Amino acid sequence: MILQIPTEETRMSKPAPIPDQASAFFWEGAARGELLVQHCADCASFQYPPTVICEKCQSRDIRPTRVSGRGTLYALTVMHQAFLPIFAENLPFTIALVDLDDAPGARLLTNIVDANPADLTAGDPLEVVFEPRGDYAVPQFRPAGPALGGAA
Amino acid sequence: MTGGRQATVVGIGYSSVHRELGVDTRPLVVDASLAAVRDAGLTPAEIDAVFEYPGAGSQLATNVQRLLGIGDLTAYGDLGGSGPSGLAAAMAAVAAVESGACDVALVFRSVNREWGQQSGKIVVPPAANAAQFSLPYGDFGGIIPSMGLRKYRRLAELGGSEEDYGQIALNARTWAAMYERGVLTKPLTMDEYLSSRFVAEPLRLLDCDYPVTGACAAIITTAERARDLAGRPVTIDSVAFGTGSRPDWTFSDDLLFGGTIGCARRLWEKSRVTAADVDVAELYDGFTHITISWIEALGLCGIGEFGDWVDGGKRIGPGGALPLNTNGGQLAAGRLHGLAFLTEAVAQLRGDCGNRQVPDARVAVVANAHGPQCGAMVLIRE
Repeated sequence: MILQIPTEETRMSKPAPIPDQASAFFWEGAARGELLVQHCADCASFQYPPTVICEKCQSRDIRPTRVSGRGTLYALTVMHQAFLPIFAENLPFTIALVDLDDAPGARLLTNIVDANPADLTAGDPLEVVFEPRGDYAVPQFRPAGPALGGAA
Repeated sequence: MTGGRQATVVGIGYSSVHRELGVDTRPLVVDASLAAVRDAGLTPAEIDAVFEYPGAGSQLATNVQRLLGIGDLTAYGDLGGSGPSGLAAAMAAVAAVESGACDVALVFRSVNREWGQQSGKIVVPPAANAAQFSLPYGDFGGIIPSMGLRKYRRLAELGGSEEDYGQIALNARTWAAMYERGVLTKPLTMDEYLSSRFVAEPLRLLDCDYPVTGACAAIITTAERARDLAGRPVTIDSVAFGTGSRPDWTFSDDLLFGGTIGCARRLWEKSRVTAADVDVAELYDGFTHITISWIEALGLCGIGEFGDWVDGGKRIGPGGALPLNTNGGQLAAGRLHGLAFLTEAVAQLRGDCGNRQVPDARVAVVANAHGPQCGAMVLIRE
Protein backbone atom coordinates (compact mmCIF):
# COMPACT_ATOMS: atom_id res chain seq x y z
CA MET A 1 0.00 0.00 0.00
CA ILE A 2 1.30 3.41 -0.91
CA LEU A 3 0.82 6.11 1.69
CA GLN A 4 -0.14 9.31 -0.08
CA ILE A 5 1.48 12.20 1.73
CA PRO A 6 -0.54 15.37 1.17
CA THR A 7 1.47 18.36 0.05
CA GLU A 8 0.48 21.98 -0.24
CA GLU A 9 -0.09 21.41 -3.93
CA THR A 10 -2.94 19.06 -3.09
CA ARG A 11 -4.15 20.57 0.16
CA MET A 12 -6.91 23.11 -0.39
CA SER A 13 -7.78 23.84 3.23
CA LYS A 14 -6.04 24.26 6.55
CA PRO A 15 -4.83 20.99 8.03
CA ALA A 16 -7.35 19.15 10.17
CA PRO A 17 -6.02 17.07 13.05
CA ILE A 18 -5.73 13.33 12.54
CA PRO A 19 -6.50 11.89 16.00
CA ASP A 20 -4.92 8.79 17.45
CA GLN A 21 -6.26 6.48 20.11
CA ALA A 22 -5.00 8.66 22.95
CA SER A 23 -6.10 12.00 21.50
CA ALA A 24 -9.49 11.21 19.97
CA PHE A 25 -11.36 12.52 23.05
CA PHE A 26 -9.61 15.88 22.74
CA TRP A 27 -10.55 16.51 19.12
CA GLU A 28 -14.03 15.02 19.47
CA GLY A 29 -14.62 17.24 22.49
CA ALA A 30 -13.43 20.27 20.58
CA ALA A 31 -15.90 19.42 17.80
CA ARG A 32 -18.67 19.67 20.45
CA GLY A 33 -17.26 22.95 21.74
CA GLU A 34 -15.75 21.40 24.86
CA LEU A 35 -12.14 21.59 26.01
CA LEU A 36 -10.96 18.37 27.66
CA VAL A 37 -7.53 17.43 28.96
CA GLN A 38 -6.18 14.30 30.59
CA HIS A 39 -6.36 14.19 34.39
CA CYS A 40 -4.66 11.38 36.30
CA ALA A 41 -7.01 9.58 38.67
CA ASP A 42 -4.06 8.42 40.77
CA CYS A 43 -1.79 11.45 41.16
CA ALA A 44 -4.18 14.22 40.05
CA SER A 45 -1.75 15.60 37.42
CA PHE A 46 -3.06 17.24 34.30
CA GLN A 47 -1.15 16.82 31.07
CA TYR A 48 -1.09 17.96 27.46
CA PRO A 49 -0.69 16.81 24.72
CA PRO A 50 -2.75 13.68 25.35
CA THR A 51 -0.76 10.48 25.53
CA VAL A 52 -1.08 6.87 26.64
CA ILE A 53 0.01 7.11 30.27
CA CYS A 54 0.42 9.63 33.08
CA GLU A 55 3.87 11.08 32.53
CA LYS A 56 4.17 11.83 36.27
CA CYS A 57 3.19 8.51 37.90
CA GLN A 58 2.78 6.13 34.93
CA SER A 59 -0.82 5.40 35.82
CA ARG A 60 -2.97 4.17 32.96
CA ASP A 61 -6.01 5.71 34.61
CA ILE A 62 -5.94 9.07 32.89
CA ARG A 63 -9.37 10.50 32.34
CA PRO A 64 -10.54 13.11 29.87
CA THR A 65 -11.74 15.98 32.03
CA ARG A 66 -13.63 19.01 30.86
CA VAL A 67 -12.09 22.31 31.87
CA SER A 68 -13.50 25.84 31.83
CA GLY A 69 -11.50 27.04 28.84
CA ARG A 70 -10.03 29.89 30.82
CA GLY A 71 -6.30 30.27 30.38
CA THR A 72 -3.29 32.50 30.85
CA LEU A 73 -0.92 33.61 28.13
CA TYR A 74 2.54 32.07 28.59
CA ALA A 75 4.12 33.21 25.33
CA LEU A 76 3.14 34.20 21.81
CA THR A 77 4.80 34.59 18.43
CA VAL A 78 3.40 36.45 15.47
CA MET A 79 4.00 34.58 12.25
CA HIS A 80 5.04 36.86 9.41
CA GLN A 81 6.01 34.05 7.08
CA ALA A 82 3.66 31.25 6.09
CA PHE A 83 5.69 28.07 6.33
CA LEU A 84 2.41 26.37 5.45
CA PRO A 85 1.31 28.20 2.29
CA ILE A 86 -2.37 27.69 3.15
CA PHE A 87 -1.87 30.12 6.04
CA ALA A 88 -0.52 32.90 3.79
CA GLU A 89 -3.91 34.59 3.56
CA ASN A 90 -3.98 34.85 7.36
CA LEU A 91 -0.63 36.60 7.80
CA PRO A 92 0.21 37.87 10.26
CA PHE A 93 -1.32 35.31 12.64
CA THR A 94 -0.48 34.45 16.21
CA ILE A 95 0.71 31.16 17.68
CA ALA A 96 0.75 30.97 21.47
CA LEU A 97 1.35 28.78 24.49
CA VAL A 98 -1.52 29.04 26.96
CA ASP A 99 -1.63 27.63 30.51
CA LEU A 100 -5.08 26.33 31.47
CA ASP A 101 -6.28 27.98 34.68
CA ASP A 102 -8.07 24.94 36.11
CA ALA A 103 -5.62 22.30 34.84
CA PRO A 104 -2.21 23.26 36.23
CA GLY A 105 0.56 21.66 34.19
CA ALA A 106 -1.47 21.61 30.97
CA ARG A 107 -0.06 24.11 28.47
CA LEU A 108 -1.61 24.21 24.99
CA LEU A 109 -0.05 25.30 21.75
CA THR A 110 -2.80 27.29 20.07
CA ASN A 111 -3.68 30.44 18.17
CA ILE A 112 -4.70 33.82 19.53
CA VAL A 113 -7.70 35.26 17.68
CA ASP A 114 -9.81 38.41 17.94
CA ALA A 115 -6.91 40.42 19.36
CA ASN A 116 -4.00 42.57 18.31
CA PRO A 117 -1.05 40.65 19.75
CA ALA A 118 0.71 43.96 20.47
CA ASP A 119 -2.01 44.63 23.06
CA LEU A 120 -1.24 41.38 24.93
CA THR A 121 1.40 40.52 27.47
CA ALA A 122 2.42 37.29 29.16
CA GLY A 123 0.05 36.58 32.02
CA ASP A 124 -3.04 38.01 30.33
CA PRO A 125 -6.33 36.13 30.82
CA LEU A 126 -7.71 34.29 27.80
CA GLU A 127 -10.71 32.14 26.97
CA VAL A 128 -11.18 29.34 24.50
CA VAL A 129 -13.10 29.48 21.23
CA PHE A 130 -13.34 26.75 18.60
CA GLU A 131 -12.69 26.93 14.88
CA PRO A 132 -14.32 24.07 12.93
CA ARG A 133 -11.74 22.10 10.98
CA GLY A 134 -12.74 19.07 8.96
CA ASP A 135 -14.58 16.59 11.18
CA TYR A 136 -13.23 18.27 14.30
CA ALA A 137 -12.52 21.75 15.67
CA VAL A 138 -9.35 23.51 16.76
CA PRO A 139 -9.31 25.22 20.17
CA GLN A 140 -8.06 28.79 19.96
CA PHE A 141 -7.97 31.57 22.51
CA ARG A 142 -9.08 35.19 22.67
CA PRO A 143 -8.84 37.80 25.41
CA ALA A 144 -11.15 36.80 28.26
CA GLY A 145 -14.39 38.65 28.70
CA PRO A 146 -15.71 39.50 32.14
CA ALA A 147 -15.99 36.42 34.36
CA LEU A 148 -19.42 34.85 34.41
CA GLY A 149 -21.36 36.26 37.29
CA GLY A 150 -19.62 39.54 36.73
CA ALA A 151 -18.44 42.11 39.17
CA ALA A 152 -21.11 43.35 41.51
CA MET B 1 38.13 9.80 30.90
CA THR B 2 37.52 6.15 31.76
CA GLY B 3 39.74 3.11 32.00
CA GLY B 4 42.82 5.17 31.30
CA ARG B 5 41.84 5.85 27.70
CA GLN B 6 41.59 9.61 27.15
CA ALA B 7 39.70 10.79 24.08
CA THR B 8 41.69 13.32 22.09
CA VAL B 9 41.07 15.24 18.88
CA VAL B 10 43.99 14.84 16.49
CA GLY B 11 42.62 16.15 13.21
CA ILE B 12 40.01 18.46 11.71
CA GLY B 13 38.93 19.09 8.14
CA TYR B 14 36.46 21.06 6.04
CA SER B 15 35.01 20.91 2.57
CA SER B 16 34.27 23.95 0.47
CA VAL B 17 31.05 25.68 1.55
CA HIS B 18 28.28 26.46 -0.96
CA ARG B 19 25.35 28.86 -1.03
CA GLU B 20 23.79 27.49 -4.22
CA LEU B 21 21.24 24.68 -4.31
CA GLY B 22 21.69 21.26 -5.85
CA VAL B 23 25.24 20.56 -4.70
CA ASP B 24 26.11 16.87 -4.26
CA THR B 25 27.50 16.45 -0.74
CA ARG B 26 29.37 13.21 -1.44
CA PRO B 27 32.53 14.89 -2.78
CA LEU B 28 32.32 17.37 0.09
CA VAL B 29 32.17 14.80 2.85
CA VAL B 30 35.09 12.99 1.21
CA ASP B 31 37.06 16.26 1.07
CA ALA B 32 36.38 17.10 4.71
CA SER B 33 37.13 13.56 5.90
CA LEU B 34 40.37 13.24 3.95
CA ALA B 35 41.47 16.69 5.16
CA ALA B 36 40.89 15.59 8.77
CA VAL B 37 42.72 12.29 8.22
CA ARG B 38 45.69 14.11 6.65
CA ASP B 39 45.66 16.73 9.39
CA ALA B 40 46.03 13.90 11.92
CA GLY B 41 48.93 12.38 10.03
CA LEU B 42 46.92 9.24 9.35
CA THR B 43 45.72 7.30 6.34
CA PRO B 44 42.10 6.16 5.81
CA ALA B 45 43.20 2.57 6.41
CA GLU B 46 43.94 3.45 10.03
CA ILE B 47 40.33 4.55 10.72
CA ASP B 48 38.35 1.86 12.56
CA ALA B 49 35.16 3.77 13.43
CA VAL B 50 32.86 6.27 11.70
CA PHE B 51 30.10 8.28 13.34
CA GLU B 52 27.84 10.92 11.82
CA TYR B 53 24.62 12.82 12.51
CA PRO B 54 22.22 12.16 9.63
CA GLY B 55 19.86 14.53 7.91
CA ALA B 56 19.24 16.04 4.50
CA GLY B 57 22.54 16.19 2.64
CA SER B 58 24.28 13.69 4.85
CA GLN B 59 25.70 10.32 4.00
CA LEU B 60 25.49 7.21 6.14
CA ALA B 61 28.64 6.37 8.04
CA THR B 62 29.04 3.20 6.02
CA ASN B 63 28.62 5.06 2.72
CA VAL B 64 31.55 7.27 3.65
CA GLN B 65 33.49 4.24 4.82
CA ARG B 66 33.05 2.81 1.31
CA LEU B 67 33.88 6.07 -0.46
CA LEU B 68 37.12 6.35 1.52
CA GLY B 69 38.04 2.68 1.06
CA ILE B 70 38.12 2.10 4.82
CA GLY B 71 38.14 -1.56 5.87
CA ASP B 72 35.90 -3.33 8.33
CA LEU B 73 34.73 -1.00 11.10
CA THR B 74 34.78 -1.93 14.77
CA ALA B 75 32.27 0.80 15.67
CA TYR B 76 29.95 3.05 13.69
CA GLY B 77 26.69 4.90 13.97
CA ASP B 78 24.30 7.43 12.50
CA LEU B 79 23.26 9.43 15.54
CA GLY B 80 20.09 11.06 14.31
CA GLY B 81 16.69 11.85 15.66
CA SER B 82 17.06 13.05 19.19
CA GLY B 83 20.78 13.75 19.62
CA PRO B 84 22.73 16.99 20.04
CA SER B 85 23.05 17.59 16.27
CA GLY B 86 26.53 17.39 14.73
CA LEU B 87 28.26 17.14 18.09
CA ALA B 88 26.39 13.86 18.73
CA ALA B 89 28.76 12.08 16.36
CA ALA B 90 31.80 13.32 18.26
CA MET B 91 30.19 12.43 21.60
CA ALA B 92 29.56 8.89 20.38
CA ALA B 93 33.17 8.68 19.20
CA VAL B 94 34.42 9.72 22.64
CA ALA B 95 32.42 6.94 24.26
CA ALA B 96 33.61 4.40 21.70
CA VAL B 97 37.27 5.42 21.98
CA GLU B 98 37.31 5.57 25.78
CA SER B 99 35.49 2.24 26.14
CA GLY B 100 37.93 0.51 23.84
CA ALA B 101 35.32 -0.24 21.18
CA CYS B 102 37.54 1.49 18.64
CA ASP B 103 40.88 3.26 18.42
CA VAL B 104 40.59 5.90 15.71
CA ALA B 105 37.20 7.41 14.92
CA LEU B 106 36.24 9.62 12.01
CA VAL B 107 33.27 11.88 12.78
CA PHE B 108 31.58 14.12 10.25
CA ARG B 109 28.54 16.28 9.60
CA SER B 110 27.45 16.79 6.05
CA VAL B 111 24.47 19.02 5.40
CA ASN B 112 22.84 20.73 2.46
CA ARG B 113 21.17 24.08 2.05
CA GLU B 114 17.92 22.40 1.06
CA TRP B 115 17.57 21.06 4.61
CA GLY B 116 14.91 23.07 6.39
CA GLN B 117 13.04 23.55 3.13
CA GLN B 118 15.16 26.27 1.58
CA SER B 119 14.72 24.75 -1.84
CA GLY B 120 11.26 26.19 -2.47
CA LYS B 121 9.68 22.75 -2.58
CA ILE B 122 7.52 22.41 0.50
CA VAL B 123 6.32 19.01 1.58
CA VAL B 124 3.90 19.16 4.49
CA PRO B 125 3.27 15.96 6.42
CA PRO B 126 -0.22 14.95 7.60
CA ALA B 127 -1.35 16.52 10.88
CA ALA B 128 -0.93 13.18 12.62
CA ASN B 129 1.07 11.93 15.60
CA ALA B 130 2.94 14.82 17.24
CA ALA B 131 2.07 17.09 14.31
CA GLN B 132 -1.66 16.95 15.16
CA PHE B 133 -0.88 19.37 18.00
CA SER B 134 1.07 21.86 15.87
CA LEU B 135 0.18 21.82 12.16
CA PRO B 136 -3.51 22.77 12.58
CA TYR B 137 -2.31 26.00 14.21
CA GLY B 138 0.06 26.89 11.38
CA ASP B 139 3.05 25.85 13.48
CA PHE B 140 5.42 24.57 10.82
CA GLY B 141 8.94 25.41 9.67
CA GLY B 142 11.01 23.30 12.04
CA ILE B 143 11.55 24.91 15.41
CA ILE B 144 11.22 28.48 14.12
CA PRO B 145 7.84 29.24 15.77
CA SER B 146 9.09 27.73 19.03
CA MET B 147 12.11 30.03 18.87
CA GLY B 148 9.78 33.01 18.46
CA LEU B 149 7.94 31.81 21.57
CA ARG B 150 11.21 31.48 23.46
CA LYS B 151 12.39 34.97 22.58
CA TYR B 152 9.01 36.42 23.57
CA ARG B 153 8.94 34.59 26.89
CA ARG B 154 12.54 35.43 27.76
CA LEU B 155 11.95 39.13 27.18
CA ALA B 156 8.78 38.91 29.31
CA GLU B 157 10.24 36.82 32.12
CA LEU B 158 13.90 37.78 32.34
CA GLY B 159 13.80 41.25 30.83
CA GLY B 160 16.61 42.50 28.66
CA SER B 161 16.19 43.96 25.22
CA GLU B 162 16.23 42.99 21.59
CA GLU B 163 19.71 44.51 21.43
CA ASP B 164 20.92 41.63 23.62
CA TYR B 165 20.00 39.23 20.83
CA GLY B 166 21.48 41.60 18.30
CA GLN B 167 24.87 41.38 19.99
CA ILE B 168 25.06 37.68 19.10
CA ALA B 169 24.24 38.47 15.46
CA LEU B 170 26.70 41.38 15.20
CA ASN B 171 29.46 39.38 16.88
CA ALA B 172 29.08 36.57 14.34
CA ARG B 173 29.70 38.94 11.42
CA THR B 174 32.72 40.51 13.13
CA TRP B 175 34.45 37.17 13.51
CA ALA B 176 33.36 35.78 10.13
CA ALA B 177 35.10 38.70 8.42
CA MET B 178 38.38 37.24 9.71
CA TYR B 179 37.59 33.65 8.71
CA GLU B 180 38.60 32.24 5.35
CA ARG B 181 35.40 30.18 5.19
CA GLY B 182 33.15 33.00 6.35
CA VAL B 183 29.94 33.32 4.33
CA LEU B 184 28.28 36.51 5.61
CA THR B 185 31.33 38.68 6.15
CA LYS B 186 29.88 42.17 5.85
CA PRO B 187 29.73 43.94 9.21
CA LEU B 188 26.26 44.25 10.68
CA THR B 189 25.00 47.30 12.55
CA MET B 190 22.48 47.19 15.38
CA ASP B 191 20.11 49.28 13.25
CA GLU B 192 20.32 46.66 10.50
CA TYR B 193 19.65 43.90 13.01
CA LEU B 194 16.69 45.75 14.51
CA SER B 195 15.22 46.44 11.08
CA SER B 196 15.62 42.90 9.75
CA ARG B 197 12.24 41.38 9.01
CA PHE B 198 10.28 39.40 11.53
CA VAL B 199 9.89 35.71 10.76
CA ALA B 200 8.08 34.66 13.95
CA GLU B 201 7.91 37.97 15.83
CA PRO B 202 9.85 38.75 17.95
CA LEU B 203 12.21 36.33 16.13
CA ARG B 204 13.91 38.17 13.28
CA LEU B 205 15.57 36.86 10.15
CA LEU B 206 18.96 37.79 11.60
CA ASP B 207 18.29 35.69 14.70
CA CYS B 208 18.44 32.63 12.41
CA ASP B 209 21.50 30.88 11.06
CA TYR B 210 22.41 30.82 7.37
CA PRO B 211 21.84 27.60 5.42
CA VAL B 212 24.74 26.29 3.34
CA THR B 213 25.91 23.06 1.77
CA GLY B 214 29.15 21.68 3.15
CA ALA B 215 30.86 19.24 5.47
CA CYS B 216 33.32 19.18 8.32
CA ALA B 217 35.07 16.31 10.05
CA ALA B 218 37.28 15.43 12.99
CA ILE B 219 39.44 12.51 14.07
CA ILE B 220 39.17 11.30 17.66
CA THR B 221 41.56 8.78 19.18
CA THR B 222 43.29 8.08 22.49
CA ALA B 223 45.91 10.37 24.04
CA GLU B 224 48.31 7.44 23.85
CA ARG B 225 47.84 7.04 20.10
CA ALA B 226 47.97 10.82 19.68
CA ARG B 227 51.52 10.88 21.02
CA ASP B 228 52.67 8.90 17.99
CA LEU B 229 51.00 11.22 15.49
CA ALA B 230 52.22 14.35 13.80
CA GLY B 231 49.20 16.47 14.71
CA ARG B 232 48.83 18.64 17.79
CA PRO B 233 46.33 16.89 20.06
CA VAL B 234 43.53 18.54 22.00
CA THR B 235 42.12 16.70 25.03
CA ILE B 236 38.39 16.14 25.32
CA ASP B 237 38.27 16.80 29.04
CA SER B 238 34.53 16.50 29.66
CA VAL B 239 31.42 15.50 27.76
CA ALA B 240 27.82 15.90 28.87
CA PHE B 241 24.34 15.40 27.46
CA GLY B 242 21.12 17.07 28.56
CA THR B 243 17.45 16.73 27.73
CA GLY B 244 15.56 18.54 30.50
CA SER B 245 12.92 16.76 32.55
CA ARG B 246 10.11 16.99 29.99
CA PRO B 247 12.00 17.00 26.71
CA ASP B 248 10.14 18.62 23.85
CA TRP B 249 10.83 21.61 21.60
CA THR B 250 7.36 23.06 22.32
CA PHE B 251 5.82 21.36 25.35
CA SER B 252 8.92 21.43 27.55
CA ASP B 253 8.60 22.27 31.23
CA ASP B 254 11.52 24.67 30.73
CA LEU B 255 10.93 26.45 27.45
CA LEU B 256 13.70 29.00 27.98
CA PHE B 257 16.59 26.68 28.81
CA GLY B 258 15.47 23.13 28.04
CA GLY B 259 18.28 20.70 28.82
CA THR B 260 21.07 23.28 28.80
CA ILE B 261 21.23 23.82 32.58
CA GLY B 262 21.47 20.14 33.53
CA CYS B 263 23.92 19.52 30.69
CA ALA B 264 26.15 22.37 31.85
CA ARG B 265 26.05 21.22 35.47
CA ARG B 266 27.18 17.71 34.51
CA LEU B 267 29.82 19.11 32.15
CA TRP B 268 31.54 21.07 34.91
CA GLU B 269 31.12 18.26 37.46
CA LYS B 270 33.15 16.00 35.18
CA SER B 271 35.71 18.62 34.14
CA ARG B 272 39.02 19.43 35.76
CA VAL B 273 38.49 23.12 34.98
CA THR B 274 35.68 25.57 35.72
CA ALA B 275 33.68 28.14 33.82
CA ALA B 276 36.14 30.77 35.06
CA ASP B 277 38.95 29.00 33.16
CA VAL B 278 37.32 29.23 29.72
CA ASP B 279 39.43 31.12 27.18
CA VAL B 280 37.15 30.72 24.16
CA ALA B 281 33.53 29.58 23.76
CA GLU B 282 31.99 28.01 20.66
CA LEU B 283 28.27 27.83 21.41
CA TYR B 284 25.51 26.76 19.07
CA ASP B 285 23.86 29.68 17.27
CA GLY B 286 21.25 28.12 15.05
CA PHE B 287 19.18 30.84 16.71
CA THR B 288 20.50 33.67 18.87
CA HIS B 289 18.32 32.59 21.80
CA ILE B 290 20.23 29.32 21.97
CA THR B 291 23.60 31.02 22.36
CA ILE B 292 22.33 33.27 25.15
CA SER B 293 20.86 30.22 26.92
CA TRP B 294 24.18 28.39 26.83
CA ILE B 295 26.17 31.39 28.07
CA GLU B 296 23.92 31.59 31.11
CA ALA B 297 23.48 27.83 31.61
CA LEU B 298 27.25 27.30 31.52
CA GLY B 299 27.65 29.90 34.25
CA LEU B 300 29.67 32.27 32.09
CA CYS B 301 27.24 34.80 33.54
CA GLY B 302 24.17 34.53 35.78
CA ILE B 303 20.69 33.60 34.55
CA GLY B 304 19.12 36.68 33.00
CA GLU B 305 22.38 38.66 33.19
CA PHE B 306 23.52 38.26 29.60
CA GLY B 307 22.55 41.79 28.57
CA ASP B 308 24.78 43.47 31.13
CA TRP B 309 27.51 40.86 30.85
CA VAL B 310 27.91 41.16 27.07
CA ASP B 311 28.84 44.82 27.53
CA GLY B 312 27.71 46.07 24.16
CA GLY B 313 29.47 43.14 22.48
CA LYS B 314 32.93 43.93 23.81
CA ARG B 315 33.01 40.86 26.05
CA ILE B 316 32.58 38.37 23.21
CA GLY B 317 34.40 40.11 20.35
CA PRO B 318 38.05 40.08 19.32
CA GLY B 319 40.15 41.13 22.30
CA GLY B 320 37.23 40.57 24.67
CA ALA B 321 37.37 38.65 27.93
CA LEU B 322 35.39 35.73 26.45
CA PRO B 323 35.71 35.46 22.66
CA LEU B 324 32.58 33.72 21.33
CA ASN B 325 31.99 31.87 18.06
CA THR B 326 35.32 32.90 16.64
CA ASN B 327 34.63 31.75 13.08
CA GLY B 328 31.26 33.48 12.85
CA GLY B 329 29.29 30.43 13.94
CA GLN B 330 26.35 29.25 11.91
CA LEU B 331 24.94 32.78 11.73
CA ALA B 332 27.81 33.95 9.53
CA ALA B 333 29.94 30.95 8.52
CA GLY B 334 26.92 28.86 7.58
CA ARG B 335 25.00 25.99 9.08
CA LEU B 336 27.39 23.04 9.17
CA HIS B 337 25.12 21.97 12.00
CA GLY B 338 26.99 21.59 15.19
CA LEU B 339 30.27 19.88 14.48
CA ALA B 340 31.99 23.08 13.30
CA PHE B 341 31.87 24.43 16.87
CA LEU B 342 34.14 21.56 17.85
CA THR B 343 36.50 21.95 14.88
CA GLU B 344 36.82 25.72 15.45
CA ALA B 345 37.56 25.15 19.15
CA VAL B 346 40.30 22.70 18.19
CA ALA B 347 41.77 25.19 15.71
CA GLN B 348 41.80 27.90 18.39
CA LEU B 349 43.45 25.66 20.99
CA ARG B 350 46.11 24.64 18.47
CA GLY B 351 46.84 28.30 17.69
CA ASP B 352 45.99 27.91 14.01
CA CYS B 353 43.58 30.82 13.65
CA GLY B 354 45.73 33.59 12.24
CA ASN B 355 44.27 37.06 12.72
CA ARG B 356 41.26 35.72 14.61
CA GLN B 357 43.41 33.72 17.04
CA VAL B 358 42.51 34.10 20.72
CA PRO B 359 45.91 34.65 22.38
CA ASP B 360 47.17 31.63 24.30
CA ALA B 361 43.80 29.87 24.27
CA ARG B 362 44.07 26.75 26.44
CA VAL B 363 40.48 25.93 27.51
CA ALA B 364 37.47 25.92 25.20
CA VAL B 365 33.84 25.10 25.85
CA VAL B 366 31.64 23.79 23.04
CA ALA B 367 27.87 23.41 23.28
CA ASN B 368 25.29 22.17 20.88
CA ALA B 369 21.59 22.47 20.14
CA HIS B 370 19.01 23.30 22.82
CA GLY B 371 15.76 22.07 24.30
CA PRO B 372 15.64 18.27 24.34
CA GLN B 373 18.86 17.76 22.34
CA CYS B 374 21.68 19.28 24.41
CA GLY B 375 25.34 18.30 24.32
CA ALA B 376 28.55 20.00 25.41
CA MET B 377 32.28 19.45 25.72
CA VAL B 378 35.27 20.99 27.44
CA LEU B 379 38.47 20.89 25.38
CA ILE B 380 41.93 21.51 26.77
CA ARG B 381 45.35 22.00 25.16
CA GLU B 382 47.78 20.22 27.44
